[in-house]
Amino acid sequence: MKYVLDNVWIGLFVVVVLFAAFYYVGWWASRKTSSEEDFYAAGFSIGPVTNGLGMAATWASLATFMGVIALIQKLQVPFVYLWIQWSISIPLLTLLYGTSLRRMKAFTPASFIKNRYGNGAAICVVFWMCLVMVMYALGQMIGLGQAFEMLFGVPYNTALIVAGIATVGFITMGGMYGASYNAAFQMVVMTIAMVAPMGAIMKQMGASGWWFPPLLYGDMVPNMLAAIPTFFDMKYDFRWYFALIPAFTLGPVALPHLAMRVFTSSSVKSARWAVVWFTIFLGLLFCGTYTAGFAGNYFRATTGNIIEKADQTILVLNVFYNPTIVAAFVMGGALAAGLSTIGGNLMAIAGLVGNDLLGIMAPNMDRKRKMRWGYMALGLGGVAAILLAFKPPAFLVTSVLWAFGLLACTASPAILLGVWWKEANKLALIISSTVCGILYIIISPHVLKTIVIGKGLPAALGMSGGMVTVPLSFGLFIVLSMVFNRMEAFKAFAPTLADKQLVDRIHGWGEEYEESRYQSTVWPLVAVVVCVIVLIWGLQPWS
Amino acid sequence: MNTKEMLYKKEIRITIIFTLLLLLMAHSASLFVLFPGMQSKITAAGVEGGFGGFPVQYIVPILLGWFGLAILCVVMALVCNKFDDEMEQLANDTKAGRSRETA
Repeated sequence: MKYVLDNVWIGLFVVVVLFAAFYYVGWWASRKTSSEEDFYAAGFSIGPVTNGLGMAATWASLATFMGVIALIQKLQVPFVYLWIQWSISIPLLTLLYGTSLRRMKAFTPASFIKNRYGNGAAICVVFWMCLVMVMYALGQMIGLGQAFEMLFGVPYNTALIVAGIATVGFITMGGMYGASYNAAFQMVVMTIAMVAPMGAIMKQMGASGWWFPPLLYGDMVPNMLAAIPTFFDMKYDFRWYFALIPAFTLGPVALPHLAMRVFTSSSVKSARWAVVWFTIFLGLLFCGTYTAGFAGNYFRATTGNIIEKADQTILVLNVFYNPTIVAAFVMGGALAAGLSTIGGNLMAIAGLVGNDLLGIMAPNMDRKRKMRWGYMALGLGGVAAILLAFKPPAFLVTSVLWAFGLLACTASPAILLGVWWKEANKLALIISSTVCGILYIIISPHVLKTIVIGKGLPAALGMSGGMVTVPLSFGLFIVLSMVFNRMEAFKAFAPTLADKQLVDRIHGWGEEYEESRYQSTVWPLVAVVVCVIVLIWGLQPWS
Repeated sequence: MNTKEMLYKKEIRITIIFTLLLLLMAHSASLFVLFPGMQSKITAAGVEGGFGGFPVQYIVPILLGWFGLAILCVVMALVCNKFDDEMEQLANDTKAGRSRETA
């Protein structure tokens, strides 16, 4: 059964109004953007509530709005658990390194890598981060194409081109100011679009707590169990749940577009309060998503209707149960979800290329030219994502989730050990990041189908691959750092006094340097032992 | 133990404790897998020992991932911001001491 809006003009009206608002914010923001600080970090000036909304919007992508509901239909409750753990991404990155890097006024995490490890390591990390950002933006572009397809009933490829170009346009115009304020506005739109219409759907499905759909649908549970007795089963063994940590908790910690939200804060303290707002706003949206996942399963099981594209479940439910104008608004919410994340992704690409990479390759280029290159990188990143989205994977969330594992083994160790361990060595970083990144790609089912760790969805999402390559990357990085720092032949790669002073400074010690701080040998070795255990566990056959 | 050493150890302690608590808020579902006795019983008649109509293994991770996390982040902001004040005080004292020595 195919579901599209009854009246295309209503859909068109909603989209035009929303895009007009986004372009207006982009235009307004472009007038405030006169320096690199403005373009990449919104002048380090965003307050906690706006930033909390912006953080939530950047994190809550189309994968949240559409993809997660599709995968709740496939995996049911275990996928809810998988999603819950993402709410700690920004709190964890803020705690572990966000405030430290905000203190040094970094534009992206790669700015820190460049200062801490030098140019070679920075190029390596920038490459992986750009790749992940394009993959991430790809997932959003697919969702945008699908939303436009449903709104106007046009073919997917046409929808993709129109949505993609319109999106890249307003993001390029506004820089980080535009991305921040648009993201805050988009979070409000997407939360209302997710939660309010869901109340109407839950009422028609028979929930007495329809007035607060994120949590009050418990009285539907007996009917759900009658229709799908296994819905609440914790279907997998403990390793499946543990495997969420290496790939999905440690990966997003290094996502540059999330870290950049922390960097835009007006102060380190403001960043921490922004995180509080982030958890409140994101929690509301995420819980709305779980309700939609529940309702999607319930709809299929009790009405017998088949949803051809599982990613479109939220939209289908609204077309089925709600008036056309409400369904169109929900699709507008889906657009907002995708746009805010693409905004963050493309801003990250612009920062990584325009600031970090050009800072290395053309250090004498003047700031205005560098910014122009940043704009160009932003536009090209968008075009690359549009082109890749012409042949999408079955689930839009697959490409996004798989990319997290890649980041967890290529960038997370570099940032976390770089901030917390003075012995972290630049050559060790380049080797461990390159080897483990390539290994992660090889052992995934997406490249060489004969060499795969794990099988089924855990392999496709990178969970089983991450359980091997993430501990390997951390362990290899630590061991090689210890070895290289003690060998005369590799003395040139050892951390210098300036590198070590940087570590003290970003922790807030100012000019007060102490050699013994962040210099332990025992704890890194304990971490290596833990990594080896996890690695061996990950290599065992997956059921 | 001098102030610098005390602050350093405090920073490490704060970071480890909050990291573990954040992981707990986000991965509480794992506890229900590790200790199946904690799960609500699901029978043909419905859910036994649930909360708000849901099995606890479903609703508790959701609540901890939202309200539990929000409360933890409030505590984290208060504790870390207070720690920053102490660090700033130390950095200012060091700077003032150096200025006096130079003078």
